[in-house]
Amino acid sequence: MNRGRVEDTGMTSVRPRTVSRSSWPPAVRMAVSLMLVVYLAAVIVPPLAGPPPASDLAMAALQPLRPLVGALFLGHGYRFFAPNPGPGHSIQWTMKMADGSTRQGSIPDRDADWPRLLYHRRFMISEKIAAFVPPPDAPADVRQQSRGEWQPVVKDVAGHLLHRYGGAQVTLQMTEHYLPDPEELIRSEQGGAEQGTDTVTPLGTYALAGAQPLTGLVPPAGTANR
Amino acid sequence: MSDLTLADAPPRRGSWLGDWLDAWNTFWFTPADPLPLAVVRIFAGALLTWASFVWWLDAEAFFSHDGWQRPENVWRMNDQPWQWSWYFAAGSAGMARVLAGITLAAAVMLTLGIATPLAAVVSLAGLISAVNRAPLNVFGLDDTLGMLLLAVAVGPAGAVLSVDRLLAPDIAADRPSVRANLAIRLIQVHLCVIYLFSGLGKLLGASWWEGTALWGAAANVQYRTLDLTWLASHPWIINALTLSTLWWEIAYAGLVWPRLTRRLFLAVAVPVHLGIGLTMGMMEFGLAMLTANMAFVPAPVLRRLLRPLLGRFAGTASHRA
Repeated sequence: MNRGRVEDTGMTSVRPRTVSRSSWPPAVRMAVSLMLVVYLAAVIVPPLAGPPPASDLAMAALQPLRPLVGALFLGHGYRFFAPNPGPGHSIQWTMKMADGSTRQGSIPDRDADWPRLLYHRRFMISEKIAAFVPPPDAPADVRQQSRGEWQPVVKDVAGHLLHRYGGAQVTLQMTEHYLPDPEELIRSEQGGAEQGTDTVTPLGTYALAGAQPLTGLVPPAGTANR
Repeated sequence: MSDLTLADAPPRRGSWLGDWLDAWNTFWFTPADPLPLAVVRIFAGALLTWASFVWWLDAEAFFSHDGWQRPENVWRMNDQPWQWSWYFAAGSAGMARVLAGITLAAAVMLTLGIATPLAAVVSLAGLISAVNRAPLNVFGLDDTLGMLLLAVAVGPAGAVLSVDRLLAPDIAADRPSVRANLAIRLIQVHLCVIYLFSGLGKLLGASWWEGTALWGAAANVQYRTLDLTWLASHPWIINALTLSTLWWEIAYAGLVWPRLTRRLFLAVAVPVHLGIGLTMGMMEFGLAMLTANMAFVPAPVLRRLLRPLLGRFAGTASHRA
């Protein structure tokens, strides 16, 4: 068995032939190589297959890999801040308590969510829901169609808030925080034109129906938005 | 068919396929010093410890039946049933806290190198369970930790710089091994995939071509932890930072391997990731990516840097032996 120390982990483009060679038998290396090929496919194919745009070929290649990709948490697109860094989002909520009082909050809450990693975990809630919710000026059919995607997720968030704070009814709205361009910010600071405004999208009012918590959570008639 | 064997053999000059197989063998199956993997283990373990503590702080909201997302709705954001989680089997607030605590304990053990193989597997299972149960709360930190922990679970991550090593001094434990090489290679290749797709994805956006994308990050109030809006008066700085980040990401997968460019690419990773961490409040993500970059630091460099610490471990180990 060759146990000579290797002086480099093989990161050079040209490798001397005198380095230690594997002590593993060929059959073992063959088996491990097959596993490596499958694993590398599970690493490379998911970012090829999504998020859109993606080819039909990549989508088809992903299908047999889904169990492995799912089991090892490899289904990532790695599109950090792509295609363009966009505006941030937050969800404001107003809760009606059983005694008639109201309570308000925000997801995330810069003042209350500490440490910063906890803030970021909650910030992801508003960012991920925002990805499903079209802007208020989107065509009516687009808004109607998308509701089936975002409303169950928002309903869960509303249910959690009601459960957490013991409220009777909660109204949520998504705020897209206006992102000024550099020139606009300079003009604004010089006392010129005002900056643009945040975009607010109602997400609906939710209440606990009946004695069963959450399972009976429904948007009250006439209050569900859009 | 003899050309297809993976057995050790002298280079088969003139055989293109043989050269490929030889290169594959050399790349994956050459024994390597376990020190880089141990260093990755310590940093990844520490980051997981912190991340697990934060999960644990609000475990009921993240993992219980009454959390931010009910278990029956997780499929809307995940690929079920493949994205398993032990939290699906335990929906009460108490059990959520207990299971989050198990991950936290495993992460501490992994960092210190106590029962390292078991701690690595439990840590990985804990991370995957958390992110698969709470897809609404996941971001790049979790992707990177998953990559690191898988490699740590595969290789002999506790062979050096660990309590295991102190308690059971094995003279051969820190010798080069194929498993150590495999683990480090998995991180290296995966990291190149991450940067490549991150860079290619940015090419879809006009702001990256125009050199203004970093303004979008700097001016985003929800992310911002350091006010960089003074950059509005310095558009060329924004251009330079944006374009250098973009092309560094795209070129990383090719140029981190040659000696000539490796140091440059690893050096640039430090300001890029610390910059994101400091200005956008994602320090954990930045540190996780820098930990992954450490997989490219040659073992002799790490041995030189850590000589006093390694000497102390070796001294204690030989004393006990």
